[in-house]
Amino acid sequence: MKRQIPLLIVIGLGLLFVVHTFVPHKISEDFYEWWQTWSKAISPFMVLLGIMSLFMVHSTKIKRKTANWQYSFVTLGGLLITAFVGFMWGTREGTPYMWLFKNIQMPMSATMFSLLAFYIASAAYKAFRARSVEATVLLLAAVIVMLGQVPLGAQISHWIPDTSKWILNVPNLASKRAITLGVGLGITATSLKILLGIERKYLGGD
Amino acid sequence: MKLNHFKTSFFLVLMVFSFLFLPISSHAALDDSEYIVQNLQVNDIPNDDGSGLVLSWKPLSKEKRIIEYRIYRGVTPDSLFYIGRIDVNVKTGVAGDLMYFYDTAYNYFLDIQAPGKLKKEKKQAEDSPLYRRYPRDLAVTGPQFKNYSVLTVIPEKDYYYKNRKIEVVTEKDTTVYAALKLRNFRQLAKKLLDDKEYYYTVFAVNEARKYFPHAEPVMGIPRENAPEETKEFYPVFVKDTNRLQFEWSLPIFTDDIYYHCLYILDKDELDKFQEYKKEQKLIEENNLAIKLDSTVVKYEPKFENPAELIFMRYAGYPYTGSKTVHLDIVDGKIKSEKIYKNEVLGQEFDVDLEIDINNIQDYYFVFSLFDTSNYETFSEVKAAEIVYPDMLPEIPPFTVVDGKNDKGDYNYVSWGKPVVYLTNSSYLNEEKTKLLVNYDTMTNEHYKIRNIYFTVYDDAGNEIKKINEFYQDNKLKIRIPPNTESLNFEITLKCNNPIGDNYVFYQDISWNDQTKSLTPGILYFSESKEDIYKYSYYVYKRNYTDEEFRLSKKITGSQRELYDNIRYKNVHFKITTKFDADKGLIYVSPAFSVRMDGEQENTIRSNLYPSEVEKTLRGYKEQIADYTASKDTLETEEEIKEADDAIEHYQNLFDLLANYPISKEAASFSNPKARIKYLDKSRHIAKNSFEYKIVKSDDKGHFTETPIYINEDAKPVDVEKNIALISYEGFGKDHFFPIPNWFKTTMFPAFLATIIFGGFVFFMIGKAKKGHDLFVRPIAGIEEIDNAIGRATEMGKPILFVPGTSGITDVATLAGLSILGRVAKKAAEYDTKILVPCRDYLVLPVAQEIVKEAHYEAGRPDTYDKTSVFFITTAQFPFVAGVNGIMVREKTATNFFMGMFWAEALLMTETGNTTGAIQIAGTDAPTQLPFFITTCDYTLIGEELYAASAYLAREPMQLGTLKGVDYSKLLILILIISGTILSSVHLTFLMNAFPEK
Repeated sequence: MKRQIPLLIVIGLGLLFVVHTFVPHKISEDFYEWWQTWSKAISPFMVLLGIMSLFMVHSTKIKRKTANWQYSFVTLGGLLITAFVGFMWGTREGTPYMWLFKNIQMPMSATMFSLLAFYIASAAYKAFRARSVEATVLLLAAVIVMLGQVPLGAQISHWIPDTSKWILNVPNLASKRAITLGVGLGITATSLKILLGIERKYLGGD
Repeated sequence: MKLNHFKTSFFLVLMVFSFLFLPISSHAALDDSEYIVQNLQVNDIPNDDGSGLVLSWKPLSKEKRIIEYRIYRGVTPDSLFYIGRIDVNVKTGVAGDLMYFYDTAYNYFLDIQAPGKLKKEKKQAEDSPLYRRYPRDLAVTGPQFKNYSVLTVIPEKDYYYKNRKIEVVTEKDTTVYAALKLRNFRQLAKKLLDDKEYYYTVFAVNEARKYFPHAEPVMGIPRENAPEETKEFYPVFVKDTNRLQFEWSLPIFTDDIYYHCLYILDKDELDKFQEYKKEQKLIEENNLAIKLDSTVVKYEPKFENPAELIFMRYAGYPYTGSKTVHLDIVDGKIKSEKIYKNEVLGQEFDVDLEIDINNIQDYYFVFSLFDTSNYETFSEVKAAEIVYPDMLPEIPPFTVVDGKNDKGDYNYVSWGKPVVYLTNSSYLNEEKTKLLVNYDTMTNEHYKIRNIYFTVYDDAGNEIKKINEFYQDNKLKIRIPPNTESLNFEITLKCNNPIGDNYVFYQDISWNDQTKSLTPGILYFSESKEDIYKYSYYVYKRNYTDEEFRLSKKITGSQRELYDNIRYKNVHFKITTKFDADKGLIYVSPAFSVRMDGEQENTIRSNLYPSEVEKTLRGYKEQIADYTASKDTLETEEEIKEADDAIEHYQNLFDLLANYPISKEAASFSNPKARIKYLDKSRHIAKNSFEYKIVKSDDKGHFTETPIYINEDAKPVDVEKNIALISYEGFGKDHFFPIPNWFKTTMFPAFLATIIFGGFVFFMIGKAKKGHDLFVRPIAGIEEIDNAIGRATEMGKPILFVPGTSGITDVATLAGLSILGRVAKKAAEYDTKILVPCRDYLVLPVAQEIVKEAHYEAGRPDTYDKTSVFFITTAQFPFVAGVNGIMVREKTATNFFMGMFWAEALLMTETGNTTGAIQIAGTDAPTQLPFFITTCDYTLIGEELYAASAYLAREPMQLGTLKGVDYSKLLILILIISGTILSSVHLTFLMNAFPEK
């Protein structure tokens, strides 16, 4: 029963949403609207789950004094302080919460994001090492595409931006579309498996 | 001091706290008096219905870092309620010298989201008069109803089924109300009352959210004004057809405009008319002066309007009314089709006016806006422009049908044949000999464009190129001679339905010095040589509850269709003044209108309570009896006529309420709920059934109007089947009701594909179940999963599994979770720790359950650690920081990344790469695949992610699905190749059989 009831809910609602895709009728639209309101109402409770998990993991770390347990204080401290200032003074422009967001969260996120530039350079180096014919083709294509994106490429020859455009619009787009097509069918197949109860792993167990 | 971990974290927390105090401490040391808003003024809005005030004040300087101004209003200066705010960009400040806030028309007053109790505004002094918004507490807000005109907006279902019948007994009579809780109202809107005093104040808030002291409250009184003068008015006389045409611009403020009127004036009487016009202004000024000072003597009008009324029409508020009319002169006379009734003046006008059509230049015409307070504002007088019928635009026939594929909220209006036009051009080379010309098409459901033929000519008329656009990609590539300054295009079409041989468009593109390119010019249509963009189409509609047509949409001359949106959820608008604070009820009238009668003159009304209908009928009967009896005592003919008119009036009302088919049918229901359901249905039909007409105009009086569209093939209404249709004459014939559809025809290809795909899957599952060996190509990434887990076991290090960074609704996440189940089971069997960080709250419990079950299945429930599946954060890059930290600290031996990823993908896998973990990734995000391929040992590309679960399970059902996907791909491949070959030889039927999106 523990698994059958959730499975029945998934199959029942899944089929209703499939029907909704093909049926534009008012009844179908009203059902969808009702469902969306309902799901919006339950989503805040899910936040509690996340916070509980965070507390559980970090309080266990502190209790057991596992390696680097002191950082858990910082995590929980950050969570409590942010929540406290948010509840106390609100979250609008000019509040301490916004100040924390702008002066701590945003620069830290930006730092992480900016690392991407170096990681891309490192990944590009790995990818473009001309160790085989395929890698050499990749390297050449990359050089042309990169040159095609900057004015220097057009200065050298108009063939560079033209070829760059061709690479992006023809072989690149074709392979992207092939992947997308496969993904589309994969999604449909997985959805069908879930709908028919063939795939039950996401409920835990087989 | 030697720092350990504890001290470090203590200092970090302290640092965060000290940051917190910075913005708070920054509140200090400001001189509040410099931040008080200056020059606050409250003025009446001109040309309105007496419900508008405009606030103005001098904004504080940019240096004061103001982020908003908060506005408060009340009827006394000692209690002012928050009504709105104006946000300011703290960096740029306010550009102008003054800031304005308009408190006009019906706007927000109260709803269920208002605060529960009355609260003083925060950060204000003890004796501050400022309060937050009006609360839901009717004991506080209810008494305010009398200070405003409060309009309630009630959803139909709440009004019909959630009301309580309340009787309010006074000395004079007993009034019945429908009482509803505040939650039953969508909103309560308010409008200011004219000649009433209102107080306003404003204060500023800076970026640290410091509320500065408010300005001294300022009083304002909204005054009723005459309508604004019409800016544009075009009278046109069409020779030969003897038709007068008028077009005018609509005013900005329309709330109290009751009628649009047209007058004719002899040129000789122009002076008299100007005197009369001036006097109207004097009357308005005198009325205002009396309001300000009761000792001012009332102005007695001296002049009569010398202009003769020739047309009058209800303005159509709250909708946008029509702005054109034509009057035919028959036998030298202008005659009105019906008697015009001016309900403000209580007068009737039957127009029957002689006019000399041979000397039409001897007349002036004037347009006026007449409001509910008896103010009339005239436009400038104008003589008619004389035109001939062929100077007016041609208007193609149009059709109206129920909109397809909708929930019952669209009617589809279409007219004319397709239009093709050039939109832009750009050079493709430096020599300017290769040109890319963009074009666009406009069509409707009756015509599907098959081919477009472009013939390009140079300046000298020599043909340069002929292009057959059998596939319309909206691009033409043309090789042109150097230094070409202009090109002429001749455009013809081939459609699924015949469009005629002479259906040709002409357009040129010529050198534009500003854009440095060849720019498309005017688009001409061959048959009429008409400039397509000169005219606009105005689609007007009218339902069974409207007296006049309303504008549905103004459409450019090139468009050929309109999906007319009709809201299928209706509401009731009710004015309220009464409430019961103890019970939390707001009282509204239980009477409601259902429709107008066939002549669109009288409203058919009903009531929520049948007893009230009977009471009203009794009242009418008594009035008729009283007037009939009074006739015996009346002496003058005038008095007798008045009595007769009153008897006729009440008899008419009685007939509408008692004998109109809808009223009769409603009275026949014994069950009150069934009665209301019937009236609801009937009202819904009345509100949502529309008749249509189109006006094609250049906005200067040169227009052509179609008659109302009639569907000659319409079947007669079967009232037996639907009793709500009783008395709806013309339903389906000239009134079109949008019907909800049960199948989206545009989704048919998708539906068919799903059926075929499902068929393949079931067939292959059946085959697999019968024991057929289904070959699945080896996928290295999946085959290596066992080895990767084994590696972690050998090293004694944990496994990291990231189930994507998307939500549970993403199928990629579900596929990732399926793989997690298999990986977790293997890890449990090998007694290897698995760490699953989650970014989504909903993914967390699912992942926890999966890992827990995997341990149970492996027979190792004791090794399941609840904290091994955990939530980090929903924020993208902090999540990356968390995962990277785990990789570095825990030195995970194997990392799995299965699901949907965005920019964080490379940050995580590159870190994993540097820690030396074996990494297997799988995603359906094409943009992240290159990063995974570069930095991971194995990558599941796109569909392989979805196949992984089946591949690992090796069950017939799962493998059957996998093979079904393969056969579907084969079918798609065949269709793509066939489509490519066929379209290459101009056979586009296969390509067109599929939807574009």
